Amino acid sequence: MTKEDSFREMLAMIELEMRRLRHDRTEIYTRAIQPILWLSVFGTVMSEVGGIPTGGIPYIDYITPGVLIQSTIFVSVFYGLTIVWERETGILKRLLVAPASRSATVVGRSIASGVRAVVQALIIFPVAILLGVKFIPNPIYIIAAFLVLFLISGGFAAISIFVASLMKTRERFMGLGQALIMPLFFASNALYPIEMMPPVLQYAASVNPLTYAVDAVRGLLIAGDISHLAVDVAAILVFDVAAFAVASISFRKIIE
Amino acid sequence: MTLAIETIGLTKTYNGRIRALEGIDLRVTPAEVFAFLGPNGSGKTTLMRILTTQFRPTSGEARAFGLDVVRRGADVRRMIGYVPQETSVWLDISGRENLLIYSKIYGVPKEQRKSSIEEAIQTMGLEEDAGRMVKAYSGGMTRRLEIAAALLVKPRILFLDEPTIGLDPSARKAVWESLTALQRERGTTVFFNTHYMDEADHYSDEIAIINRGRIVKSGTATELKRSLRGEILQFSRSRREGEEEVHGQNGFSESALKKVREVDLVQDAVVSGPLLDVFVDDGERALPLVMEVLRSEGATFDRISTARPTLDDVFLKYAGPLRSGMGGDGG
Repeated sequence: MTKEDSFREMLAMIELEMRRLRHDRTEIYTRAIQPILWLSVFGTVMSEVGGIPTGGIPYIDYITPGVLIQSTIFVSVFYGLTIVWERETGILKRLLVAPASRSATVVGRSIASGVRAVVQALIIFPVAILLGVKFIPNPIYIIAAFLVLFLISGGFAAISIFVASLMKTRERFMGLGQALIMPLFFASNALYPIEMMPPVLQYAASVNPLTYAVDAVRGLLIAGDISHLAVDVAAILVFDVAAFAVASISFRKIIE
Repeated sequence: MTLAIETIGLTKTYNGRIRALEGIDLRVTPAEVFAFLGPNGSGKTTLMRILTTQFRPTSGEARAFGLDVVRRGADVRRMIGYVPQETSVWLDISGRENLLIYSKIYGVPKEQRKSSIEEAIQTMGLEEDAGRMVKAYSGGMTRRLEIAAALLVKPRILFLDEPTIGLDPSARKAVWESLTALQRERGTTVFFNTHYMDEADHYSDEIAIINRGRIVKSGTATELKRSLRGEILQFSRSRREGEEEVHGQNGFSESALKKVREVDLVQDAVVSGPLLDVFVDDGERALPLVMEVLRSEGATFDRISTARPTLDDVFLKYAGPLRSGMGGDGG
């Protein structure tokens, strides 16, 4: 197997995801409902309360990056369901008999999920504007923010593939997926600054990849402060590499 | 001549204790249709997954056109097509899109892609439905699409795991017509697993019967049937109204069965339901002898017919469950 085989398979996996999306967009719309509620209901109410120190940023603007990221990692974390389904059918067996390497299959699927997740965020983005969220009007920053979304959700898709190799049924997988996302969301800086948390939670937040993603996206889209960007992106990349590695190793187990 | 598939002493043990294959020696000639026949759980799928480089064998060797499937896995993958037993296409895109994605995964060069896809669609007779979503396909159409996807790279060996399981008779026929045409026109070696006897009988050039991880018999369908030599004399007896079952063997007693087996020209005698099947070398000469024994044992029958052994008989003899379902201690 060559690099070319692997690269080609990755592109084919992205194309597959795009074609599926084109045929059926329902999922994208229904998955937009929850994040829109976070912004329009939770965000609006908490703005009135005004108890959270956001550094002068309106609360709804403050949580928009976190909500965008939550909605994208929802897509990625449940991507493993596709893998569980493909294992029950013969698709995974067939992909194993294709010329590309196994890690290319894993990375390709993760990237494909990342692309799908970015499409998800693109739906929520205009809604946020309608709700009065003020984004930094710099196209480079906006593109960079979406790249960060793509990177973080690709990593979570790999984690999801890893979990799929452990959980042999869809029901178990669903349960674990739910149990994973909300704690990650709450133990991050998505809804409140880390400084407000008890020390244990502060520590959890500091090793939570979401924290870095939220910080990067908030800096790019809302605060216009990119002084942490390098550190944030580095942390996300470390997470991605680790996630891809774990998922590639576990992928063998998926089919046996 | 290089064999299409050759295995020597192939074994596979799962988790150190479940022995799925116990020394498989197999030789498949290029451009033939080879049927691997066995009951469920006999090790058919395990062998196929080793040959298609998904698993490593525990010991032994396997080669496809001279290439070791473990050491040269990547090269082997380039020349084989594989259709697993379960659905292996995406249901939420169209048939043609599935072929497009697979052609990219398999690395069909861009300029050949369109023609390969159209050719595969034609070969499998999917012209009218290629644009529809796969979830609207029937089982037979889905299976033909899966085979079409395996044809995109013009494989030298096509592996099919239970290709027609769950299909209705007309869909099975359509699948097989496409497959035999493929073998005839392109010289593709077709290796398939099945537990349908008639399929192995009609469509294969050679058959191996596997049971509990071992090949118990192999040869052409005719050879296998001939291996049971001669004919089957079938004695049947309809139970008369109000009559009790006398011997517990539907009228053929255990001692009668034993005596029949002792007759010179008789190879074996088996009771199944109201029938007594006697396997003989020469029916014409054996019949009077067998009848005499049965009469002297007081066994009654009201019909005798003769039959040539079918592949079912071969399968039952070599792969079992041997003689299950007959009365008494049986097998």
